[in-house]
Amino acid sequence: MLKSKTFVKKTRAGGVLKIVREHYLRDDICCGSEVCKERKDEAPVLQEDACIESNLCSYPHYLIPDTNVVLHQIDILEDPLIRNVIILQTVLQEVRHRSAPAYKRIKDAIHEKEKHFYTFTNEHHRETFIEREPGESANDRNDRAIRVAAKWYADHLAKKTNGGSLKVVLLTDDRANKEKAEQYGLIVYRCEEYIKSLIGNPELVDRLALQPDDQNEITDSKLLFPEHLPLSRIQSGIKNGVLLQGTFHANRDNYLEGTVFINREGEDINEVLLQGLQNLNRAVHQDVVAVELFPKERWVAPSSVVLQDDSPNDEDAEEDETENKRVVKSENVLKPTGRVVGIIKRNWRPYCGMLSQSMIKEVTGFNYKVNKVFFLHKKQTNIYIHVKKLRHPIKFHGVLYQDFNAYNLLLIFSQRIDMVPELLSSNLCSLRSNVERLAFSCIWEMNHNAEIIKTHFTKSVINSKASLTYAEAQMRIDDTTMNDDITKSLRGLNRLAKILKGRRTEKGALTLSSPEVRFHMDSETHDPIDLQTKELKETNSMVEEFMLLANISVAQKIYDEFSECALLRKHPSPPPSNYDILIKAAKSRLDSAKALADSLNNATVENFPYFNTLLRILATRCMMQAVYFCSGMDSDFHHYGLASPIYTHFTSPIRRYADIIVHRLLAVAINADSTYPELMDKHKQSSLCNNLNYRHKMAQYAQRASVAFHTQLFFKNKGIINEEGFILFVRKNAIIILIPKFGMEGAVFFDNKDKPSPRLIFDSEGPTLKVEQHTFRMFDKVKVTISLDASNIQHQRIRMALIEPVIPGVSVPVPESEPEAKKPKLDC
Amino acid sequence: MAAVQVSEAEKVYIMHGVRDDLRLDGRGCEDYRHMEIETDVVSNTDGSAKISLGHTDVLVGVKAEIGKPKAMVPDEGYLEFFVDCSANATPEFEGRGGEELGVELSNTLYKVFNNRQSVDLRSLCICPGENCWVLYVDVLLLQCDGNLFDAISIAIKAALFNTRIPKVHISEDEEGVKEIELSDDPYDCMRLNVENVPCIVTLCKIGHRHVVDATLQEKACSVASLLISVTHRGTVTCVRKMGGGSLDPESIFEMTEAGKRVGKALHAPLMELLQKEESLGKKRQKVGFLG
Repeated sequence: MLKSKTFVKKTRAGGVLKIVREHYLRDDICCGSEVCKERKDEAPVLQEDACIESNLCSYPHYLIPDTNVVLHQIDILEDPLIRNVIILQTVLQEVRHRSAPAYKRIKDAIHEKEKHFYTFTNEHHRETFIEREPGESANDRNDRAIRVAAKWYADHLAKKTNGGSLKVVLLTDDRANKEKAEQYGLIVYRCEEYIKSLIGNPELVDRLALQPDDQNEITDSKLLFPEHLPLSRIQSGIKNGVLLQGTFHANRDNYLEGTVFINREGEDINEVLLQGLQNLNRAVHQDVVAVELFPKERWVAPSSVVLQDDSPNDEDAEEDETENKRVVKSENVLKPTGRVVGIIKRNWRPYCGMLSQSMIKEVTGFNYKVNKVFFLHKKQTNIYIHVKKLRHPIKFHGVLYQDFNAYNLLLIFSQRIDMVPELLSSNLCSLRSNVERLAFSCIWEMNHNAEIIKTHFTKSVINSKASLTYAEAQMRIDDTTMNDDITKSLRGLNRLAKILKGRRTEKGALTLSSPEVRFHMDSETHDPIDLQTKELKETNSMVEEFMLLANISVAQKIYDEFSECALLRKHPSPPPSNYDILIKAAKSRLDSAKALADSLNNATVENFPYFNTLLRILATRCMMQAVYFCSGMDSDFHHYGLASPIYTHFTSPIRRYADIIVHRLLAVAINADSTYPELMDKHKQSSLCNNLNYRHKMAQYAQRASVAFHTQLFFKNKGIINEEGFILFVRKNAIIILIPKFGMEGAVFFDNKDKPSPRLIFDSEGPTLKVEQHTFRMFDKVKVTISLDASNIQHQRIRMALIEPVIPGVSVPVPESEPEAKKPKLDC
Repeated sequence: MAAVQVSEAEKVYIMHGVRDDLRLDGRGCEDYRHMEIETDVVSNTDGSAKISLGHTDVLVGVKAEIGKPKAMVPDEGYLEFFVDCSANATPEFEGRGGEELGVELSNTLYKVFNNRQSVDLRSLCICPGENCWVLYVDVLLLQCDGNLFDAISIAIKAALFNTRIPKVHISEDEEGVKEIELSDDPYDCMRLNVENVPCIVTLCKIGHRHVVDATLQEKACSVASLLISVTHRGTVTCVRKMGGGSLDPESIFEMTEAGKRVGKALHAPLMELLQKEESLGKKRQKVGFLG
């Protein structure tokens, strides 16, 4: 029998289409039950004695769930206990339409033989097919189809068993449907009712999903975030300039703040500040977003508050944040501020996240709904190292090897992750004593004043006389009794290096400081036992000096040869505003690197040997990031830190990709190798530089995170430690303290969520922070306790608390000396 | 057009018959042949009708699509006609043979139907200046046995009566971007008011008299014919003279009067029939093309 199904559809172009489908009805569709003896071309699925112990249905029965039951109670249906279920075609189609995962799960259940699930194609059965009636909605029609099919089954089974006990039970949570089905003469139960009636299986009740349309409806459906705009509106908004498009960057210190970099040319605003979770509006780091600018009076300055993502529910924190904003307003460095209105392109990548526990307490069962997912986009503990596809074979010291477009050797936790295979990096490319090695040499002829007379680049074969560590070399130089050739030449080199360094410093090269930390590892457990800051020897400086010289010479050479596509490194001068904090701290005047270097050298305070180092650390913070660039794309080549007009990286090709490129350029320049198109394309070169800079930054972050992680491990084993430190920065609600012994920084917060915060007076000019009676200045010496706060397993962090100066209500009492009991644990 | 060869003697016989108000098949001069109409014959159209008048068979389908209103009349929809002279109808239509006739027919149909006196074009407007319904009226000639215009016009009226346009409503978001939304219910449809849709009555001048619904033989005896479109009130909305011969003003007047009379008499039973058919609803056994 032929019927036709007619429906009207809207096409994508906006037209309206009437679609007519032929629909064939059959009268040979099997009911799938064992009791039905007709047509046994396929084995029956539904068992004759479909028994499940229940208070409600003591007779054998088949279940027919409606669409919503399948959608919401799929957990129940998947339970091995639930068998002999008839899934109607109507139900299956609706499920497929509404939820792909549920459809897959129910399909899997149907395919499982032991489950005895049967699909009844009621839509094609002559007696169960119904047509939609005028005024009937699609859902009503489907509900009716389910009832008709259930009724047909009931009658069919009764006929086949001659009025036997086998029945069908319709499961529905829809009240109207239930009433109609009862009128129609069907046995019908609500899902919950039925499951609770099952004897001996109380655990199933736990798997029951809550019904949102029940009385205990969760009314608190507050919108957490403003809705994102549809793409069409975003596009028109960007076109007419109401919205701006840019890449979102989360702030690394403050999770409530972020910046959007607008990458449109000719735009006078290229950075938009975002503050508060509402305004960030679910943007994740590196998403391409559309932002709406606030009117000027709502512009704010980046807050100087350090915010920890502490509490799982941050609505209160947000309110605090708004208060903070008001205060910040008084400062005069307002930035364009706005809010995210839509996300144009997500930056999909693996995210770490955690599900926070539901705040709703339910009497029965679990609520499976996930209330919130916090993305920890700043605090990834896993480190992914992307190694991109291999591109060209490189000719590298005569060894043909495919190279990586990845950057840098990573030093994580004293483990090297090499850029090139180990054979290359630690054998073939290392100069060993009395072994011939292929090398690329830069040879200078110098007079005794270390003035270069001639520079020569060549591919070479080197047979090194000795390989020494820095310490060994240093010992030879210092040991006056040694007078062999090697030692003599070392001394000569050292003398030249000192002249070079002196000249460099003369020109204004900076010696900046950053606390470098090295862990002493337990060789078996790999737990850090102790940490210390790295110390530099004279020989380090000697090698460094010649490396710098080589880099500068090579930079000059490749730039002379390839003015358009030389890969160089520059270090832009920091804008004067960057020094604000330093000036405030040292009250010194700085306009050139030379002035900075001089003033740094002169800035010493008696009885405070660490003061100079502190200043240098601070000065480092003021610096810009040194970057790689392509000479054809930039005009400013100056390297501020080294006070060199031109600079590149040449000396470490086994751990830096930039050096490989420079090597290739140099090889071409001295006619030792042939070139290839990408090398000469300044746009490709420039994009490579961007990638190098990006990778470099990421590697730094990874390294820092690794240090932070191991610092944590270290303190985990140590318990509580008392240590001396210096105030590095003064913030509105905290002081940042540097512990010289560990080279680590930490914040001591003065505002506490649980306690009333002490009276805080912040003076941004000083900057000073007055807590109750005591005034904190930069570089003040303090004593703190350091401990690991592991109360939140996802957010373990080092916690510092103030011991000295003693401020009642703020500082903590001096804890007892280190618990000795902890120590043996480390050694084992 | 399909031509039949008629001898002189036959012509005289026909003309004499017409003079005496007795035609070859026994009809009077103002009588139509046996007519059969069925609507809703093509399921994938929005409205359709099939008519057979003697041996003339015509199928009309109406499809409603959303289009842009014409600039001159932004608040009206419009109709588009296409007449397909299928080679099934007569071998002369083979290849491009029927094209000329098709264009001629559709031009006439534009004149007769595509105006707001005939069809309520305003009701086809969805959003003034933006969207309107365009009714594509496709006419398929299945068999030609004279009097195509009358048959087509009656079929069009029946098909328009049968047409159900899905209801749409315009939703507008805050930015003023309009979106057309379809009703979820396929029974939620808009109907056209076909009260004023005219029918065409073609009168053929044979000898000193004129006949309605001429067969091909009668047509061969005629030198000129007059095509009159008449509404149910007897108003003439369009007159067109066809054929090479001349008509004197007096006979034009006479023919117009006859056309009005015949046309008026045609509408009432047609509407009655259509309403009766519709009242049968879905249970009606469809005859279709094989009946």
